[in-house]
Amino acid sequence: MERQRKARLAAALRAIVGQDGVITEEDELRVYECDGLTIFKALPELVVLPRTAEQVEAAVRLCYRERVPVVPRGAGTGLSGGALALEGGVLIGLNRMSHILEVDVPNHRAVVQAGMVNVWLTNKIAGDNFYYAPDPASQTACTIGGNVAENAGGVHTLKYGVTTNHVLGLEIVLPDGEVVEFGGKALDPPGYDLTGVFVGSEGTFGICTAVTLRILPKPEAVKTLMGVFETIDDASNTVSAIVAAGIIPACLEMMDSLSIQAVEQGIRAGLPTDAGAVLLVELDGPRAEVEALLPPISRLMRQNKVREIRIAKDEAERLLLWKGRKAAFAAMGQISPDCYLQDAVIPRTRLPQILHEIAVLSREYGLRVANVFHAGDGNLHPMILYDGRNEAELHRAEELGGKIMQRCIELGGSITGEHGVGREKRDYMPLMYTEADLEAMRKVRQVFNPDGLMNPGKIFPTSKSCVEVGAGGRDRIGYRPHRLEVMGLAQRF
Amino acid sequence: MVDPAVLAKRARDIVGSDHIQTGAAAAAFAVDGIAPGVLASPGSEEDVSRLLAAAEELEAAVAPWGGGTKMGLGAPPRRLDLVLSLARLNRVVDHEPADLTATFQAGMPLAAVQAHLKPKAQFLALDPPFGARATIGGILAANASGPSRLGYGTARDLVIAVRVVHADGTVTKGGAKVVKNVTGYDMNKLYIGSLGTLGILTEATFRLYPLPVAEETSLCAFPTLEAAGTAVAEILGSSLVPRAVELLSAGAAEMVAAPAGLPWAGGQVGLAVMIVSVPEAVRAQLNDVAKFCRGAGSTADHVMTGAAHTACWEAIREFPGPSAPRSLVLKGSVPLTRVPELMSRGVGLAGQRHLPCQAVAEAGSGIVRLYADALPAPPERTADYVETVRGVAAELGGHLVVLEAPLAVKRRVDVWGPVGKALRLMQGLKTQFDPKGILNPGRFVGGI
Repeated sequence: MERQRKARLAAALRAIVGQDGVITEEDELRVYECDGLTIFKALPELVVLPRTAEQVEAAVRLCYRERVPVVPRGAGTGLSGGALALEGGVLIGLNRMSHILEVDVPNHRAVVQAGMVNVWLTNKIAGDNFYYAPDPASQTACTIGGNVAENAGGVHTLKYGVTTNHVLGLEIVLPDGEVVEFGGKALDPPGYDLTGVFVGSEGTFGICTAVTLRILPKPEAVKTLMGVFETIDDASNTVSAIVAAGIIPACLEMMDSLSIQAVEQGIRAGLPTDAGAVLLVELDGPRAEVEALLPPISRLMRQNKVREIRIAKDEAERLLLWKGRKAAFAAMGQISPDCYLQDAVIPRTRLPQILHEIAVLSREYGLRVANVFHAGDGNLHPMILYDGRNEAELHRAEELGGKIMQRCIELGGSITGEHGVGREKRDYMPLMYTEADLEAMRKVRQVFNPDGLMNPGKIFPTSKSCVEVGAGGRDRIGYRPHRLEVMGLAQRF
Repeated sequence: MVDPAVLAKRARDIVGSDHIQTGAAAAAFAVDGIAPGVLASPGSEEDVSRLLAAAEELEAAVAPWGGGTKMGLGAPPRRLDLVLSLARLNRVVDHEPADLTATFQAGMPLAAVQAHLKPKAQFLALDPPFGARATIGGILAANASGPSRLGYGTARDLVIAVRVVHADGTVTKGGAKVVKNVTGYDMNKLYIGSLGTLGILTEATFRLYPLPVAEETSLCAFPTLEAAGTAVAEILGSSLVPRAVELLSAGAAEMVAAPAGLPWAGGQVGLAVMIVSVPEAVRAQLNDVAKFCRGAGSTADHVMTGAAHTACWEAIREFPGPSAPRSLVLKGSVPLTRVPELMSRGVGLAGQRHLPCQAVAEAGSGIVRLYADALPAPPERTADYVETVRGVAAELGGHLVVLEAPLAVKRRVDVWGPVGKALRLMQGLKTQFDPKGILNPGRFVGGI
């Protein structure tokens, strides 16, 4: 954008949002050049920070008239480069729209602004003994609007589902500035399920400004137990056995030996460093049910040669069991200069197989791969450890990452379970979908975003013929953990 | 209208003469009195694809047909040339018990699906009406659900992948056969509830649930809907985890109690609460339910297990049953706390118009179904009733859809009701996916 035009646009935007709502200086714009996946960077030309839906509407209308690309952004905790201004233009930060508009406990609903931080809602309604179920690991920072865009998951999705299962209504500013509402407090609105279609559209359909959410009464009881296993096969078989027994825990989380070692070198969560795997199981619900299910789960663990079972007696012990799991990703910095995180899904039964294959590939490529994952829903987060200073190693890491993703798809899986496609995985889309499948998706985008001005460059492959497996250059992998993550107080997934 | 002879020849070339009906045999598949010239029963997804491609070329209007249980849903079609029966697409595509996922062809009846899953102690957590005949494709197209949606959600929560044949014959998939997936847009949501106006579903993959170890039901009697509503609010606001919570108007409660073998005092409304868990937790929760009900003024409390429990829920799900008249069925949806009011006003307004009416509500989901016998009444009066109750639902913060009505009534009301400014987007989707408007033209919202 030429300077004069940019100045004119900035002035017009200031007239909408006020003096302090527009950022034009490069050093301040740098804050918005990437999301949680720090290696993709793109500097927006302007950042606008509206406080009301009307301001969003006016800003979007202006940009539409000026044919300027618009990128919505929440807290920037995304892990797929989804909130990047790849084609420049105006980035609209929703952080100032952080109010809880209405809590309607008797109707089990809350209406919040898009920039509200996920955990604030649960904090607000805790006194009523209610909570908001989707709990992405970044819930202390991420916003509901971002959760809606990415259809965020969390550790309790096995039982409670993901964001889309809890969003009942949306207020949207379409790319041309028109405001529309989908759904609301009442279920099953007539017509196509536009709420369902919008959730997970990664900011390419418009900007959501307000969200109607389902809130739930807190479970009467929560019990967390950890099984320590000699091998990851034993832990995987336990997961299968629990599911086969007809038990659906609130979560089933697993860590392999390399992850355990990294954690213990870092924060020392009290995990046995010689273990092959640990499996974390959390049950919640009516007290009688939770108490009744504990013995069978322990029994299934023993049948699968568990070495030790730890059961949290109180909330403090429960948090201790979780601490290692939460710190796992950041702990990789203890054992490796660099780490390439992936987010793939396989059918749960393929868990032992894919872990074996990852181990074989790891040896073949001479690179260590640590595994931490949501075992209950088959959502893997392999972490490829490498030294980015070594060019050859970097390339091997990329190739290995592509191989793992390809194998997950061959086993009937998916290339992303909760992080989204964004910028990062757009060129991997053809691995999973045919051109016709993608064309059907483009038709939907065409309806919402016919000019392609809203969050351009995301989701769809840049070139129809080009499937880059493990390509993308140096900038695709690096990651630097936040201090809170290193301490096991926050996590990314 | 397309020449039936031309259409029949094209269809015969694709599916063979054994799977084509014309004339009176095809006319039996009329939709709202409009008879198709041809009925075709494809035997494969490829047949569906070729049939649709041919239909689009001829600009023949197509209505997909599953079990035929929801053909009353929607506005009368603008035109109809070809009914495409999915009856032969009735196979289990795959079932991975350990993954708790399974894929079924669209024409498979729900009852057959459940029969297939039962030996593995699993089930598909959908319990819409007409469970014996309703098919997977029809249930998804109508986004039909039943009482247990409180515990498990609806098709939009349970479907993880679909295969769809588009108007031009193109076949695509949406989603993946894994329980967690955010790769690309959530296309499953687009097709569920679209009444076959965007494409024809050929198969769907679901996440399954284990069959419960124990399930029991409490059926409580209350003097008024308001009192029962108080109990509902207490139960829903507590940490109890009911699988279904149904409120029954007085007449409905009697009709549900009878097959369950329970005595029922006239004039008492009913509250049925189903608890599903391990046996010890079922008992503990039912005790709490009874406590809440007594506190709200219940006059009787029946706990049902086994056959009585099953009969009670069958009666609720299939209300008002095969022998009772059900010429008008309305589905209102309101915020949870407004359910008793919509029920009593819905029944009251019908009474004022001499329409016998009962109400059955999924009180934990805010869904109120009103069942009226409208055949004896002049259609103007019934149409006036529909519009008036719709006004009440809107006033209470919700909306109302006509699920079934005599044709003369459907011609006088908008069966779907208004969808607001979102209609422009919905019309846009229709144009993108079915530019020639051959799929169920006229039956969906806003004339789509």
